[in-house]
Amino acid sequence: MSNYPRESASFPRRCATALLAACLVTGTAWAAGEPPAPDFSKTQYGDMSFPEQFPDGTSISITQWSHFVPRYDQWFKQYAQEWGDAHNVDVTVNFINIADLASTLSASISAGEGATLFEMVAPPTAFIDGLKPLNDVNKAAATEFGERAGTCERSSYLPAKDMWYGFCHGWVPDPGDYRRSLWKDAGYPDGPQTYADLLEGGGKIFQKTGTPVAVGMSPEIDSEFYARALIWSFGGSIQDENGNVTFDSPEVVEAVKFQKQLFENAMTPEVFAWNAASNNQTFIGGSASYIQNSISFYRSAQESSPDVAADTGFRPGLKGPRGDVKMPAHVWFIHTMPEYVTDETKIQAAKKFMLDLEHNYPSASYYSKFYNFPAFTSQVPQLFGDDSWLNDDPWGAEPPDKLGLLKTAEDWTAWLGYPGYANPAVSEVYQSHLISSMMADVARGVKTPEQAVEDTAGEIRAIFEKWRERGYVGGG
Amino acid sequence: MSAAAQGGWFARAGDALERPRVLGTVMLAPAVLYIVAFVAVPFCIAIALSFSDATVGDPTISSFVGLENFRAVMQQEAFMSALRNSIIVTVATVVGIVVLATIAVEILAREFPGRRLVQVLFMLPWAMPVALAAITWLWLLDSQFSPIDWLLVQLGLLGPGTPLGPAKHLYYLGREWLGLGSVVFVDIWRTLPLATIIVLAGRLSIPRERLEQAQIDGAGFFRVLLRIIIPALAPVLIVAILFTALLVIGEMSTVALLTRGGPGHSGQILPYWAYLKGIESGDLAQGAAVSLFLFPVLAAAAIVALRFAARLHRD
Repeated sequence: MSNYPRESASFPRRCATALLAACLVTGTAWAAGEPPAPDFSKTQYGDMSFPEQFPDGTSISITQWSHFVPRYDQWFKQYAQEWGDAHNVDVTVNFINIADLASTLSASISAGEGATLFEMVAPPTAFIDGLKPLNDVNKAAATEFGERAGTCERSSYLPAKDMWYGFCHGWVPDPGDYRRSLWKDAGYPDGPQTYADLLEGGGKIFQKTGTPVAVGMSPEIDSEFYARALIWSFGGSIQDENGNVTFDSPEVVEAVKFQKQLFENAMTPEVFAWNAASNNQTFIGGSASYIQNSISFYRSAQESSPDVAADTGFRPGLKGPRGDVKMPAHVWFIHTMPEYVTDETKIQAAKKFMLDLEHNYPSASYYSKFYNFPAFTSQVPQLFGDDSWLNDDPWGAEPPDKLGLLKTAEDWTAWLGYPGYANPAVSEVYQSHLISSMMADVARGVKTPEQAVEDTAGEIRAIFEKWRERGYVGGG
Repeated sequence: MSAAAQGGWFARAGDALERPRVLGTVMLAPAVLYIVAFVAVPFCIAIALSFSDATVGDPTISSFVGLENFRAVMQQEAFMSALRNSIIVTVATVVGIVVLATIAVEILAREFPGRRLVQVLFMLPWAMPVALAAITWLWLLDSQFSPIDWLLVQLGLLGPGTPLGPAKHLYYLGREWLGLGSVVFVDIWRTLPLATIIVLAGRLSIPRERLEQAQIDGAGFFRVLLRIIIPALAPVLIVAILFTALLVIGEMSTVALLTRGGPGHSGQILPYWAYLKGIESGDLAQGAAVSLFLFPVLAAAAIVALRFAARLHRD
């Protein structure tokens, strides 16, 4: 199944430990579906060479978020420890709340000290002056692993500076999630296929059962992702490929008008106050007919609400009026190294850690229960083939191929700066919640769709101009 | 150093501390050092940042852009909303605090069975960890599972055909004014114990004989309250108002936990907008500009209030 041979001769103790740990961690997982034990033996990635062992006293620290799938953190801690043992490196992993990542990186850069690596969940483009270029790591990865997912490339490279500011080792698909029984009763046995279905079927379900469509319009990330999916699928975008603002377009106005209709026909005001966990909770609580979210909520539901989990179906996004389907990635796993890391040995060790993690990505995908998708498809063939994990879910999905549609996720997944690259202006528009707030203003009747799009486009232009003057954004 | 010399040094230090000016300086030094290190220095850095083009990636203050950041933030819709809401939330909270603290003090200053227990219960919100309080309030105000909504439905006040109906939920955090009202309510709940402690200290310092004399002279409860107690409490009330106002206007956790500035940006407040712009969005300079925007007004208000309190105290 794997392309990566286990080591048996040179590191028998380590191998046995890894195997034991894997058995402990997997719990109920099927023995046949387990990924191979991690392989740390590679000392050459593309042009980059690494020693088998680092000098005594070498240490690295990694700050990353507490994963939405807790089992991943258990595995990662064990993996990092094994990696450190194998390389004579003391590895410390700090798990922090996802909401604290930006402020922690900001504080570390200001103080000039902190973790060796930060794993960010969205493109940290505004931090670029405080980050080391990782061009060599990205080049080595491309040479070694082949083609990179577009959503990862566009979320770790900034053309205006010609700099890889991060190494994106993985990403998370963001499918549409629907209650099968409700949609079947409404005449959609396979769930909604288009936004028009969402409006019509969602309205029917709401009228008949009181169960609303639950897509957020609140200042939080899921609402931002939904708004982008809607706008892209209607043919609109925030910027073009070169970084020019394209927001005030008829397509965006059309998408906003649709959202107002959807709110009036199939939703309640609860969506204006949601946080990032709200749509999951509402769906798991049985009070939503459709949400847009990654599969972490489904993994929770399998344990806490098996009935809802069994009644959950997935869609690869919804088609817009002209047949376009685009969903954002839900999370990106982007390793960054701050400028204050100056010890060459430490830098080398951290770079080896990043590349080794990609090399061992079957385990990362597996223990995240397929939440993590690899940046390089070649690294986890177990996910994508006919006889793949997604077709026969070892974590108990019913039917076992329920998550099979995620095999095509890269085809319908975009990124924050779509169709261009992520940049600080795109990040500021995202982090200051301009798009979800615009949707909320229209849905609440505070503004007309045309006025809301015009006002928001004005603010977006001001943000782009500011960052363009500083040399972070192309076009103009 | 010999014991004699050591003894001489301690003796000289002891003599010096006998002088009020030296003793005063020594006693004040830790507080001054603390304020300089943790208030004055960060404050000066924030001012410098607000006139620069610093970002989170390059926080060095190397080039100055004049008032550009202030001009830019004033053109943001969310900023204008945040400015309005910061003032509304602060004023509403302070008014609520003054009324409720005065009532609470009148209750707590009297002898009654279980007074100690009431005092402890009253102080609980101040002692409760913010995270625990947040979970409690998020549950109470939840859009689907709010027990307040459930109670209103049971009482026939919410639901189809009722005064607050037809929906079975009020969506406290999903509506502009209900959301702001919820923020004010939680802010009052959190800060009332502090204000009450401050005012209670003043209330207990009013000589009991003075109140008894007024009652003997035939003054009723409200006359005693309005003619004796409140005038006597005025300096303390002003301090309580000042404390509460500064605490609320610079505080973002309630909004961050409850509404995140929604719906849209209609519930935004200045500290949270400064955080979103300065840290999350990476524009440190604009974040500093947003956070400093009300400083001149607050400084002037604080000076006037403190002078007024001092004059009342002298009178």
